[in-house]
Amino acid sequence: MTVLLDLQDVSKEFPVRLGLRKGTVSAVDGVSMEVHQGRTMGIVGESGCGKSTLARLIVGLHEVTRGSVGFEGRALGSARKRSKSLSRAVQMVFQDPSSALNPRATIGESIAFPLRVHDVPEAEVTARVNEVLEEVGLPAAYATHYPHQLSGGQKQRVNIARALALRPELVVLDEAVSALDKSIQAQILTLLADLQREHGLTYVFISHDLNVVEFVSDDVTVMYLGQVVETAPAGALYEAPMHPYTQLLLNSIPALDPEDRHGDDVGIAGEIPSPLNPPSGCRFRTRCPAATSMCATDAPRLADTGSGHLVACHLYAGSRPLGADPEAAPRPVQIDLPIQSR
Amino acid sequence: MSVLDVAAAPEAVQRQKEWNAAVAAAEPQSFWKETGKAFLRHRTGMAAAIVLLVLVLASAAAPLIAPYDPLVGVPADRLQHVFSSGHLLGTDEQGRDVLSRILYGGRLSLLAGFVPTIVATVLGTLIGVVSGMTGGVVAVLLMRFMDMLYGFPAVLLAIAVGAALGPGLTNTIIAVSVVFVPPVARVAEGATRRVVLQEYVEAARLTGASRWRIARSQILPNVLGDVVVYASGLVGVAMIIAASLSFLGLGSLPPNPEWGYMLNSLRGAIYVVPDVVVVPGLFIFAASVAFNLASDGLRESMDTTR
Repeated sequence: MTVLLDLQDVSKEFPVRLGLRKGTVSAVDGVSMEVHQGRTMGIVGESGCGKSTLARLIVGLHEVTRGSVGFEGRALGSARKRSKSLSRAVQMVFQDPSSALNPRATIGESIAFPLRVHDVPEAEVTARVNEVLEEVGLPAAYATHYPHQLSGGQKQRVNIARALALRPELVVLDEAVSALDKSIQAQILTLLADLQREHGLTYVFISHDLNVVEFVSDDVTVMYLGQVVETAPAGALYEAPMHPYTQLLLNSIPALDPEDRHGDDVGIAGEIPSPLNPPSGCRFRTRCPAATSMCATDAPRLADTGSGHLVACHLYAGSRPLGADPEAAPRPVQIDLPIQSR
Repeated sequence: MSVLDVAAAPEAVQRQKEWNAAVAAAEPQSFWKETGKAFLRHRTGMAAAIVLLVLVLASAAAPLIAPYDPLVGVPADRLQHVFSSGHLLGTDEQGRDVLSRILYGGRLSLLAGFVPTIVATVLGTLIGVVSGMTGGVVAVLLMRFMDMLYGFPAVLLAIAVGAALGPGLTNTIIAVSVVFVPPVARVAEGATRRVVLQEYVEAARLTGASRWRIARSQILPNVLGDVVVYASGLVGVAMIIAASLSFLGLGSLPPNPEWGYMLNSLRGAIYVVPDVVVVPGLFIFAASVAFNLASDGLRESMDTTR
């Protein structure tokens, strides 16, 4: 498997001013990640964990403070400084289908805009617009319509069409279906899967919806307060979550079937600490039921527990050094979940 | 997977097809086309627009329809009342026909309403969009300078600029333009700052488009609506300021008729022919009220499409 997108220790800090004091918010802190060609990397986490900032760093809407974002071995800078071929190859689908389309431009103009920026001959532009509209399941006649004439699901199809117009290799989807109804979500997710198969696309799929991420992803990365806590193939992560945070997160998925309910509603105690002043050592320790004194002093590093299941937690680092026995199945430590009354 | 069943349900697919066909068959609705339609249905706005159209056409056709030469008076016939024989709106202190002078004067007065508004709209939008897009030091310098100008009362600033440049219609237009640039720039800056945060502008940025291209294709069309509504309300104010400058002797040069100057020169006769003295004032009033009502109508028509 070729690595298409390679994040090395990526950090993003935003300057903030608190009265006279100047500080920084660390939105993304030392994230390393590999996204393989033709696969979907799902990124989950609570709101404020830095998922969207990470998406913006990948597409170049923000500049990284430290670290590097590599694409096929080349460095991706900010959007404005990118070469034409790199900015063509990496595209993004935005969260809010309404605000992502220029209300004063027709659908056709919106989809044609990236083509015109990339100097596609005018004769080909119309043909290409009609082609991508058809790919996302909309009639070509929509090209002359304005966004307010379309439904939310249709607008999201147009957003996908615009991202696909330049024939990208990597598409970053930031909460791409969160604003849609469940039934429309299903249609859009199916469409995304079809397009991926057809064009060999690689997706970075960002969502807070654990069910949706499980459905679309090949690999899943769990983020907490700007850091990666666990990354694994989707099946392994949902079957046997290792990091205490992931275990708690998966436990919080509401079950539709009463038989599946765990009896006790288990939540995650406490609030997310402020990214202005994150906890020392492991950032999750303030809410972690398995925290020890070591967690306050040493920040756990992301380490492979075998078969591509990476976790950043002291519970695993000591007992299973990196590359000790790659064939051994990771054995999650079942932590005692705290019972929280609602 | 249960979600897939929903997507593949035949009736859902059928419904989607029908909906697609219905939308495809519908007329494309351009924003400006819809605004035009709504404005046509807006009674007050349309009435005001018709009044303005009549004023503009009558002024433009002044040489054809004016009964007398506006500059040549008959001293024997001076200070005739309104509706006196041969002079529908009476005569002034030099025996010149007031109707003819109103018609010719409308050319200058309406020009003094439109031109500064257009100049200020272009410059103000430019300054507002530039500072709204760049932010930082550039925005602070530009906008604080605008605020400084905006801090002066409008008429006082116009008088100051007009007095510095000297009398004359061109200088009046320059003075009124200077007064109007700051508020237009503020409206444009506010709209730009709102628009640049929208996701469609970010989508345009990540295609690698230049700033100029994004400003032209994504930002300007969305800022222009706000600016046009605001600027249309300025035409009436511009006319009043221009008339005030003329009244003070800083506007158009005598003997050329202009509504504000006419009001000034007739003022001495207010106890002799009060009915004639109010005529230029009534025209200034009618034109500026019509501009404001038409502007309100335009704003409301734009609202209905959203």
